[in-house]
Amino acid sequence: MFDEDAVERVVRYLRRSVRIDPALDHRVMDEIAALPAGPAVPAGGVWQWLTGRRLALTPLGAIGLAAAFVVAVVGVWRVRSTPDSVEPGVRGFQFVLVEPHAANVSLVGDFNDWDAARTPMHRTAGDGLWSTVVPLEPGRYRYAFLIDGRLWVADPTAPTTRDDDFGAPSSVLTVGGEGL
Amino acid sequence: MMRARGYAVLVSLCLVAPFARAAAQGDPRLERLDAATRPVVVALIDSARAVGLPVNPLVERALEGALKGASGTTIATAVRRLAADFGRARDALGPGASPVELDAGAAALRAGAGPDVLTRLRRARGHRPVTMALAVLTDLVARGVPIDTATTAVLTLAATARDEDLVDFRRAVERDIAIGAPPAAAASIRVNAAAREARPGRP
Repeated sequence: MFDEDAVERVVRYLRRSVRIDPALDHRVMDEIAALPAGPAVPAGGVWQWLTGRRLALTPLGAIGLAAAFVVAVVGVWRVRSTPDSVEPGVRGFQFVLVEPHAANVSLVGDFNDWDAARTPMHRTAGDGLWSTVVPLEPGRYRYAFLIDGRLWVADPTAPTTRDDDFGAPSSVLTVGGEGL
Repeated sequence: MMRARGYAVLVSLCLVAPFARAAAQGDPRLERLDAATRPVVVALIDSARAVGLPVNPLVERALEGALKGASGTTIATAVRRLAADFGRARDALGPGASPVELDAGAAALRAGAGPDVLTRLRRARGHRPVTMALAVLTDLVARGVPIDTATTAVLTLAATARDEDLVDFRRAVERDIAIGAPPAAAASIRVNAAAREARPGRP
């Protein structure tokens, strides 16, 4: 079905222990110590600046200032509540394929309108590991890998679709969550 | 009464169809189909939309065929077949089924589940979505679990299990298969274990 040696290589690569130079901490702390100190601000001077000024407001001016404050607070709240900035329910899914001899690999599926140009995969290791991350909402997605623009490969880690209408394999991913 | 309702549906279709056709023709994604295939697919999508079936999966299926180099006839056949499966899935799941449920239902039907299985799953899940139960059923069959075994397993769990539990069950079966267990045995053993957990104190 798929190259078990290649999968083993990927597992070994992902499980490898990462060694950190023991002198790293010292080098970082030395760099911090070498940074120039910022200008000192005496607390007393700040207090004097704040309390030494007198601000006179008419009742109308006070109402205007309060209104401006409310508008500013509501504006900030609305910006933070904009759906585009939150995108609830969307999660990133990583797709991985081992294909040592490929020059390029694309991920295509229902999530990118089967457009081979939309989601190119990136080679993340020297031994042919290709990967990409796609944000997905809850739903059911068919997808496949396209190698060098001509060879179709189903995801060996996912179930293969039973409804193969086009003679090339596809895989299926069901993303759970609200709205499913 | 029935005649009046029939007239109402007919009038609704007449009113909706022109807009539906405009919407499908205006879908820029379908421009990737060749000139001969596009109108056929657009007509199929119009028909599906007019009877309330989800259209985006139909568009995606056509695009999949186009990218995979399928002929126009093959693409049209695939879209028509999928629309028909959506209709069968809706008959089995009920008119309130969501588009994602219909998609999962159509896949389950193709995996070999009968419409009665979809109906029983809907009944077992109550008000909860049936999508994940159908997806797990289909995935198990794709992993080599016989359809009868997969159906029994999912129906056993469906009444009480959460979606997360169903996914955990599927993963456990997949793990067992990956280390060499026969698919049918893996599903049976895992579902029995899950059922025992759900009924503590019983052997």
